[in-house]
Amino acid sequence: MSDFEKEEKFKERLEAGFGKDISEMTIQRKDRVWFEIKPERLCELLKFMKDEMGFNHLATVTGIDEGEKLGAFYHMTDTHSIITVRAKTPRTAPTLPTVTGVFPGAERYERELADMFGIKIEGLKPGRRYPLPEDFPTDQYPLRKDWKTADAYPETAVKQEAK
Amino acid sequence: MSKITIPFGPQHPALKEPVNFSLVMEGERVTESAINLGYNHRGVEKAAEERTYLQDIYLVERVCGICSHSHTTCYITCVEEIAKAEVPERAKAIRALVGELERVHSHLLWLGIAGYEMGFETLFMYSWRDREQVMDCLELVSGNRVHYGINAIGGVRRDISPAQKDEILKRLAILEERTKYYVKLGTEEATVLARTQNVGVLPHGKAIELGAVGPTARASDVKRDVRKDAPYLIYDKLDFNLVTANTNDVFGRLVVRVLELVESYKMIRQILNYLPEGPIAVKVPAKIGPGEAVNRYEAPRGEDIHYVKGNGTDKPDRVKVRAPTMANYASVSYMLNGGYLADAPMVIAAIDPCMSCTDRAMVCDKKDGKVRVYGWDDLRRMSIEHYKRKGVDFSKL
Repeated sequence: MSDFEKEEKFKERLEAGFGKDISEMTIQRKDRVWFEIKPERLCELLKFMKDEMGFNHLATVTGIDEGEKLGAFYHMTDTHSIITVRAKTPRTAPTLPTVTGVFPGAERYERELADMFGIKIEGLKPGRRYPLPEDFPTDQYPLRKDWKTADAYPETAVKQEAK
Repeated sequence: MSKITIPFGPQHPALKEPVNFSLVMEGERVTESAINLGYNHRGVEKAAEERTYLQDIYLVERVCGICSHSHTTCYITCVEEIAKAEVPERAKAIRALVGELERVHSHLLWLGIAGYEMGFETLFMYSWRDREQVMDCLELVSGNRVHYGINAIGGVRRDISPAQKDEILKRLAILEERTKYYVKLGTEEATVLARTQNVGVLPHGKAIELGAVGPTARASDVKRDVRKDAPYLIYDKLDFNLVTANTNDVFGRLVVRVLELVESYKMIRQILNYLPEGPIAVKVPAKIGPGEAVNRYEAPRGEDIHYVKGNGTDKPDRVKVRAPTMANYASVSYMLNGGYLADAPMVIAAIDPCMSCTDRAMVCDKKDGKVRVYGWDDLRRMSIEHYKRKGVDFSKL
């Protein structure tokens, strides 16, 4: 307890406000806290962390393919600690709300989720794709585990077979 | 006055790397701007999942040609955290040393580009000449000028000898002397002041809101530096100042970078005098995990963050890289708005953009309209043929 006093405090505050929607809260080590939030309350939670807890910097959003579920990890920091907020959505109909209302700088991270994982971001204003080119097939999501480089570039498959 | 939209890039004489800006102009003033990225996407994150942890060091090193050490150190600290490896103190010191040398070379490079963009080409010539001193130091320490390849999982690959230490200190003295001149020039020279003051203004609140990092944020008086806030390697043992400016403009960004040079010299001296005795690496098993880690690193351009997830095999399950330029792009749009078109290159250069870092992704070579991918074997064969034509035979190697 004494080793992680600051982290325990974060945990307490988060559980007081969002107790029933938070799960799998772990204190990994000093300055690292991880937990999962229900997507419905994601924006509310990030706003709470930004305004009330001093976590005013969203370092980045990591997309992840966990099989049945696709996830987005929001790495929040108050410059000293990193709290990673996990939001997960079913693979069959992946949708997450946009957090650009709280962090305007997150727009490109969210486009990356949409392009690379096929997660529909609700409320994200229309714009150009990032990082894939406009003519890249819209039904292929390169960072999903079942996507192979050969799907979009058959030339590489021929080369691998020849080896 | 009617509005005109001007495309700026991806290929443009004022830009060194491919990025596209759509600038909506009213006369000479920019009223709106949009940034389009992705011209350099190489699929590094996908490629990292298909390679082993060891191979990924070399891949991640090539995310960027300037802050290559930043990316490998950030990635490797994540891997070591998952593997629960205790890195020897001497290795940490050597990593920090290369990290600071890299910052010096990057800031001097930027200073030259800033000089070039403001039409002060003498400054460009001077700072790039002086940059050779630090490039020589890096070559001395690592054997390479650009991709140092100094990091290994569990430590570093090369030790520092007393002779190397003396040589670095000798060159450091030259750089310190030259930097005095740059500090004077950056704060007094009329050309510099005229071209940078009140250009590309980013107020304190906006910098935080848009998630700016590194010197861009620090010039808006945001006290954010990973080396101070969450010390990694041996930064908690070093005595240095967090440099900030409160002018919020390109001038502030210049001052911050030049003064950071002075801090880096101080740190390099401290590290060289500190260098504890001991091994430079520990053995780490090839199969790592399961586990996950997220770590940050203060690269020359700002906060770099990597997320690595291991699944117990010799290949990572996921590697996520977010380079500092990516975080700073949201601010560029804001800084361009309301300014003059002629200032646009200066404002863009002031964040020290690095497209390769930002985009990352799939290497395809287009020839005759066909997509071709050159593999390692192809490149090796081509290079051997190339040298054979020149009369040197490398095929036995």
